[in-house]
Amino acid sequence: MPILRADKGACQGYANCVVAAPDVYDIDDDGVVVLLKESVPEEDRQRVEEAARSCPVSALAVEDE
Amino acid sequence: MIDQAGVLGSVRRGMIPAHIYNDEHVFALEKERVFGRAWTFVAHESEIPSAGDYVVRRVLDDSFIVVRDEKGEIHAHFNMCLHRGMQVCRAEMGNASHFRCPYHGWSYRNDGRIVGLPFHQDAYGGEAGFKRKSQRLLRAPNIGSHNGMIFISLADDAPPLRDYLGDFAFYLDYYTKQSPSGIEMRGPQRWRVKANWKIGAENFAGDMYHTPQTHTSVVEIGLFREPKAEKRRDGATYWAGNGGGTTYKLPPGDLDERLRYVGYPDEMITRMKREWSREQCDVIGRDGFMISAATVFPNLSFVHNWPRVEDSEDVVPFISVRQWQPISHDETEILSWFAVDAEAPEEFKRLSYKAYLMCFGSTGMFEQDDVENWVSLTNTAAGSMARRLMLNSRMGLLEDGTEVSPSLPPERFSGPGIARTGYSEHNQRELLLRWADHMERPMPKAAGVEVGVNGQRAEAGK
Repeated sequence: MPILRADKGACQGYANCVVAAPDVYDIDDDGVVVLLKESVPEEDRQRVEEAARSCPVSALAVEDE
Repeated sequence: MIDQAGVLGSVRRGMIPAHIYNDEHVFALEKERVFGRAWTFVAHESEIPSAGDYVVRRVLDDSFIVVRDEKGEIHAHFNMCLHRGMQVCRAEMGNASHFRCPYHGWSYRNDGRIVGLPFHQDAYGGEAGFKRKSQRLLRAPNIGSHNGMIFISLADDAPPLRDYLGDFAFYLDYYTKQSPSGIEMRGPQRWRVKANWKIGAENFAGDMYHTPQTHTSVVEIGLFREPKAEKRRDGATYWAGNGGGTTYKLPPGDLDERLRYVGYPDEMITRMKREWSREQCDVIGRDGFMISAATVFPNLSFVHNWPRVEDSEDVVPFISVRQWQPISHDETEILSWFAVDAEAPEEFKRLSYKAYLMCFGSTGMFEQDDVENWVSLTNTAAGSMARRLMLNSRMGLLEDGTEVSPSLPPERFSGPGIARTGYSEHNQRELLLRWADHMERPMPKAAGVEVGVNGQRAEAGK
């Protein structure tokens, strides 16, 4: 199952990921990304990878187990 | 500048200075005092049925995102980014969990709260520089809904929507509540005409007098059996609360027979009788009046008619909701929706839509007839001669103010408000009286909202 990674230090609070996949990513009150899930089913991979790629500062990744 | 006291005083006497239909100074005041205050229709709930559904609608220059949030609550967000003022949502309708500004990428949840603010820490020093937590797109100062019709008011001190509609709500049910499920709306068709917005609003409020003349051809080709002169004279016009409209007098019969006469199938009639009050049923069944056109001040109109759609004697009723959205003193954007009872049989919906498209909407025959007049009127009102002309809008009144036809007693008209039969311009005067009342009253300065700081800072009077 694809594992989600987020670099909270790199995150600049664009929230592009939240717009693309609001069931997976959110932004907390401090403006930093929050992972709502640790992993996603294989069928969600493409959609979540697109959301991760939409990050302007490359703070997100989708990795294999 | 305009001679405000002179113009408004004249309008209140039923003498209309012709230039108000094409005058940029009048329009500037309308913008501030009519549309800055009145409840204005923006959408129907059936246009945004699911979480994230939105439409972008305007009140003159102000764009609003009318959206259903993830919890199902409906909002009207001022469509301007809190950062540099860019229009946040540039689509006309759609479904979105978030709205992201194209300029610097700030983003907002569909309930209006800010979510994305790039480089908050680096650029602003975090919360110490910009209070991100409490920020949200500006709300329309007031939002209200009645029978699924969503209205907003830009005035902080607006009365509740239900109070504003007043007794017109009784008549609104005929158009928007023929069953417990209410209506579903399709559209809008949207197009611009070089005509002043008030002309359409007045026409739909009460102009039974134009039908036999302007729409002759529609009768001649056999599309429509009603607009013969005597049928319009026998209909009642009513004014109630902040709206009014026209009716047709139907041939003898009871409620069921009369609803069947205009083309409603029995199953819809059964639901109407369950949904409507005794008085609402009596206007049709006992008094014999069937609602036709209507206007709610300032610029929302309705129409209900029953043309032939197939090559037979059968007629099919349709309902259209329309808005006269002012663009300028001499241009109006018409938004025209098809409305139909959500519980109506599919075949009825199909034929009713066809009936609507034949009569109204950008290609409708009635629409073409009307707009030709309204554009021409607007053109003629532009010049200096129009400034000398005080149009007589006193039809139905003698010079001393005596009414030509007395109002109908409750035994002849069971609806609220004041109703009369015969030709008159009572309703057009009622509409313009409200216009004059709004135009006269200066708007209080609204409190300013500073972005990125805690709460609001009032700047009234500055």
